[in-house]
Amino acid sequence: MAVFLQSLLSGVLIGGVYALIGIGLTLIFGVMRVINFAQGELVMIGMYCTFFLFKLAGIDPFLSVVLTMPALFVVGAVLQRSLINRVLDALPQNQILLTIGLGLVLSNTAMLVFTSDYRILSTTYSSSSVGLGSIRLSTPLLYSFLITGAITAALYWFLARTDTGHAIRATAQDRDAAQLMGVNVRHMGVLAFGLGSALAGAAGALIAPIYYIYPQVGGAFTLKAFVVVVLGGMGSIVGATLGGVLIGMIESLSALYIASGMKELCVYVIFLLVLLLKPSGLLGKSRT
Amino acid sequence: MRPLLEVRNVSRYFGGVKANEDVTFSVEPGIVLGLIGPNGAGKTTLFNCITGFYPPSRGEILFDGQRINGFPPDKVCKLGMARTWQKVRPLAKLTVLENVVVGALCRTASVSQAKGIALEHLRVVGLEKRAQVLAGGLPIGERKKLELARVLATKPRMILLDEVMGGLNARESEEIIRLILDVKKRGLTQVVIEHDMKAIVRTCDRIVVLSSGEKLAEGTPQEIVNDPRVMTAYLGDSGGAKA
Amino acid sequence: MRALLLWVIPALALALVPLWIQSPYALHIFILLFIAVALGESWNVIGGFAGQYSVGHAAWYGLGAYGAFILLLRKGIPPWFGVWAAVALAVIIALAVGWITFRLRGPYFVLASIAVAEIIRLAALNWKIVTNGAEGILGSDLPPLQIGGTVITDWNSKIPYYYLGLLMAVFCVAVNFVVKRSKLGYYLQAIREDQDAAHSLGIPLTFYKNTALGISAACTALTGSFAAFYVGFIEPQGVFGIDVSIQMVLTCIIGGIGTVTGPLLGAVVLVLLSEWLRASLAQAHLLVYGVLVIAVILLMPDGFVGFIAHRLRKKAAGR
Repeated sequence: MAVFLQSLLSGVLIGGVYALIGIGLTLIFGVMRVINFAQGELVMIGMYCTFFLFKLAGIDPFLSVVLTMPALFVVGAVLQRSLINRVLDALPQNQILLTIGLGLVLSNTAMLVFTSDYRILSTTYSSSSVGLGSIRLSTPLLYSFLITGAITAALYWFLARTDTGHAIRATAQDRDAAQLMGVNVRHMGVLAFGLGSALAGAAGALIAPIYYIYPQVGGAFTLKAFVVVVLGGMGSIVGATLGGVLIGMIESLSALYIASGMKELCVYVIFLLVLLLKPSGLLGKSRT
Repeated sequence: MRPLLEVRNVSRYFGGVKANEDVTFSVEPGIVLGLIGPNGAGKTTLFNCITGFYPPSRGEILFDGQRINGFPPDKVCKLGMARTWQKVRPLAKLTVLENVVVGALCRTASVSQAKGIALEHLRVVGLEKRAQVLAGGLPIGERKKLELARVLATKPRMILLDEVMGGLNARESEEIIRLILDVKKRGLTQVVIEHDMKAIVRTCDRIVVLSSGEKLAEGTPQEIVNDPRVMTAYLGDSGGAKA
Repeated sequence: MRALLLWVIPALALALVPLWIQSPYALHIFILLFIAVALGESWNVIGGFAGQYSVGHAAWYGLGAYGAFILLLRKGIPPWFGVWAAVALAVIIALAVGWITFRLRGPYFVLASIAVAEIIRLAALNWKIVTNGAEGILGSDLPPLQIGGTVITDWNSKIPYYYLGLLMAVFCVAVNFVVKRSKLGYYLQAIREDQDAAHSLGIPLTFYKNTALGISAACTALTGSFAAFYVGFIEPQGVFGIDVSIQMVLTCIIGGIGTVTGPLLGAVVLVLLSEWLRASLAQAHLLVYGVLVIAVILLMPDGFVGFIAHRLRKKAAGR
């Protein structure tokens, strides 16, 4: 029983990070209807930033989030203005291919600059754990979950309580109507991509102490983010939050009960099932 | 003579929205039936139900005596009922000729034969000189004619025209009217959704009026034009509007 | 028929190349080119003509590779028979996948295709008894190809692979050529341009999409088998990985989807560029792919061939 609970809770903890990546993706899709296949690469950039801030300046990864997020926001804003903005009216398939190309450029540039060597970021508490009764939870995972919670709460507050947040939600609901109401939808696009990237960067910072860091690590995160978003419903932030946690749990439990190698397989099978049976997701708004 | 199309008590709901409610009418072979009504009356929804894009929530649709509820659009076309679209849908990256060939291939497997049929129909609508132009580059008037040629190439027994004159100027509309009457002479049955009342009166043998999803009235053009309920439906109840 | 000649002459020229060029490296480049052309043309049938962007075609490539390899190494079935069994397997699975995923539109279909390929890859990775898992399978020497008592080749040089590769590439181009002019081609393009309009013109959507997928998967699997025997070693990431799928798509996008020459051009550009850059960029040669696809989508969404065709059309219209 303890093993089950431990696995479940670990899954929830890592699920928080998946949720962060997914929320970024769903925000971008909600506002611009663009499916960002380079989301994982943005996480990868966040991971490397965190790694170097730690190695060169000694800044703890969970603190450097404060630096990584704005940095990735700027990166995202620049990418949006230079590339994404130009394909907003293109075929969705072409948009996807553009972001796939972007992902390739980012990961391969990282390969050139950083080489394919696996980097490891280990802090003093990397392998320590916290005890909760008979359950032990990894300390870095716990920290990352708490920070994820804080970031997500801040995001909810931003979207629900600020004018800009309202403007973003309005653009996501109905671009033309929002524009008629005086919302600068182009700015909203930049904002959404910037925020989505910042969230990806945050996720990168939070998992840097836990995962190997290498240029190709992004791909798996992108795919996982898609599963999260489709599960929760494209465009639904609450959905992505729940979806992330759910995927984390499924992964963790299937590694425990089936086989470690099969956990990804399970996730993809569930993904396919959701796509086929309830494509609007558990909480999603169905869009054509 | 058995009606070619029978719509019996057809209703279509979308969630809580009543798009069509208990609509009944028949179309005799060889006539032109006008389907009119203000925007939002449920005319296009009815077309979509009839041609198989979604099944009616209630009621029956019979084509030449056969119940076609739930038949997919391609099966409906093969049976002999073809439709045009309110917002024209050219196959943009194909040429004008290729567009009509797609229609003609409904009845033949031979591309060369289909090309011959396609050219014929392009001549009928007057687009034969534009055969090699990409459909995406056509102005609206020619797009409408292309769509007409395309459905005619499927050798239908009945065509459903959804606002085929929408967005056209007087001369272009006149050409379409001539084509409708031409097509009627060849024995095709037609149901025409239109807003242009003059065109309706000139082309239609009977008219069915829809309003808020329900059938409001049915009759000859003369009867409908003089029906005060129809005026009210279009203009709203402004207290005793004269017909 | 003039169009046909334009294809036959280069094909014959290519057939004569090994008489002049003997360098194994040069022949190797040609073989890579043939594989890339075959893959591009295979994808074009479903992606270019039908407009269904599958980013999971590595599934069929890998099934072709593993199928033929396993039949040779475990059952001793020579490749020229084994290949067809592998192709049949790929087609059957492809049709099943198509049947369930073709109801999805646009980006959702893309995602589903990726998921399917990943599932098959992970299955190959984990089903160690059959596939040897991540260690992969090392090919053994191929049995000599003989008809009656005469040995045609014992596969010890690149030349038989060159001719087979050429034949395969020509075959895939021919398939595209024939499909484009047939009823199937017209119907697929109609589906691509406007699915609902196509449906209303009497086109049964799933049937035709599946036909395209079947043809595409068959050609892809065939190429996968060939490539596996040529390289001599296969492992899950290399044949089922998303990189393989993406390269197939990029070949067509860059050259021009929906045309017969587009994938050919795209393949030539991509293979030559990445070989040339392999020296300086090594592992990162995919950077080139990324940059090219971004440039093409922003500047010439119809690919090189589409861009040129558009220019020619403008000239002809005298504008």
